[in-house]
Amino acid sequence: MILPDSVWGVWCVWRRYFLIFVKSIGYYLVTTFLEPLLYLLAFGIGVGSLIGTIQTNGVRLSYRSFIFSGIIAQTLLFQGFYEGAFGAFVRMYYQRIFQAIAITPITLSEVLWGELVWDASKSTLAAEVVALIGVISGDFPPRSLLTLVPVCFLSSLLFSGMGLSAAAYSRNIDELSYPQYLLVFPMFLFCGVFYPVENLPAALQRVAWIFPLTAVNSLVRTLTVGLPFQILAVPILLGWLLVLVLLGRHSMTRRLVK
Amino acid sequence: MQPAPPLRVVHLTKRYRQRAGRDFEAVSDVSFEVAPGECFGLLGPNGAGKTTTIKCISGFYPPSEGEVFIGSHNVYFHPKLARQSLGVCDQEETLDSDFNVFDQLVWHASYFRVPVGVARERAKTLLEQFGLSEKAREPIESLSGGLKRRLQVARALMSDPHVLVLDEPTTGLDPDVRRMVWEVLAQARSRGVAILLSTHYMEEAERLCDRVAILHNGRILDIAAPARLVAKYIARDTVEEEVRPGVVWKRAPNLEDVYLKLTGSRLGVDGL
Repeated sequence: MILPDSVWGVWCVWRRYFLIFVKSIGYYLVTTFLEPLLYLLAFGIGVGSLIGTIQTNGVRLSYRSFIFSGIIAQTLLFQGFYEGAFGAFVRMYYQRIFQAIAITPITLSEVLWGELVWDASKSTLAAEVVALIGVISGDFPPRSLLTLVPVCFLSSLLFSGMGLSAAAYSRNIDELSYPQYLLVFPMFLFCGVFYPVENLPAALQRVAWIFPLTAVNSLVRTLTVGLPFQILAVPILLGWLLVLVLLGRHSMTRRLVK
Repeated sequence: MQPAPPLRVVHLTKRYRQRAGRDFEAVSDVSFEVAPGECFGLLGPNGAGKTTTIKCISGFYPPSEGEVFIGSHNVYFHPKLARQSLGVCDQEETLDSDFNVFDQLVWHASYFRVPVGVARERAKTLLEQFGLSEKAREPIESLSGGLKRRLQVARALMSDPHVLVLDEPTTGLDPDVRRMVWEVLAQARSRGVAILLSTHYMEEAERLCDRVAILHNGRILDIAAPARLVAKYIARDTVEEEVRPGVVWKRAPNLEDVYLKLTGSRLGVDGL
């Protein structure tokens, strides 16, 4: 099979990450898959048994189903952001892998696409594991495993772009805490993972919808627990996707290439 | 028509944008060619523009003016074609620490579409040549600085390049290991590989390089064979140097004297 040169370059970089992933599968089982499972247990079973059912957007559903689908979105956010931010920072700053590959026939642009697409692939895989558990437990219909793939991939690409931008603008690895506490945690807490954003005061709801995780939650819940489709989520997701992927690539290129 | 030389740098100028105030010109109008089988040295103090020149040659930095050709391909406009025949060893350590020593080499070759079987054979040979065979399965972190340096030079040879660019390849190496690297470079030259090397070590330059360029404040002051430079700038048979109070050495002039004279640092050597 002969791929166009630039696609081959991205594939080559992606393959590198995949190989490392397979080689260190023990590490990734813990960091990629255990974390969402802990949230599932704590909130799905622990908090879920306290709350029973909730009403949102005219639909009544168990809190366990609600939180399971929220944890899919949370997994996309955390996995995408952390791999793009901390992972890419280490590869750029300490390992200098970007610099080493981008003086071979593979260009820096392809290296960065490879990074983003890999980060998104890994996050999608992690989110699908959560979805699979939801299907097994009877909370989601089996077809959601399939319909979720594009939403998960685009969402995690968005969060990886956010992470890559953060890595590019951070002078040292400690500075990655700023976007972590100012952006990732607030989204995690206020964008509908744990409770419907409709429960927030109207003004805060509008603020919550500015952030991409609200849109991701909305789309994921449409596909998993059948909440009504909110069309606003689509342009918000695609808009942020475009902005953050371009920003991540542009800022990282500017940081490396003088 | 003559075939294009393996490496051609044409009026290369590189300016860095600075946060405040004017641009800083790190490399000014640098031109040279390296022929097949030739070893060309870039000499100059820290900050002379050696590394910037090399970053432009590898196509990582875009030139502000001028062009770099690897064979007939402009490295900035056609990086994929140009870099297919280029092997680079950067000054900074850029080993991929997620791989062990052997896999590192094999994997690097895959970026050049070298088939895995060929890459494995090549990696074995190079590890042997660089005295790293026993470390083949070791993780990168377990290597000392000198071993990492050797591995990185070996890695630059994995794609069997026509042009080999080495930014201070032997810095931090013991004398015997340095000789080992010189030996491998000599073999590459005899295969027709064009080598560009930047170095601090005048002895290395004198020994390895057919021609050297003396770079100072981003400009090339002169380009010639080391012996010609010595004859041109040091018009005498012996120089005297007070190496310790009261101890004066008389010796033949060498490239270091030329370097010190041209780059304006005259510490220790009188009357040049």
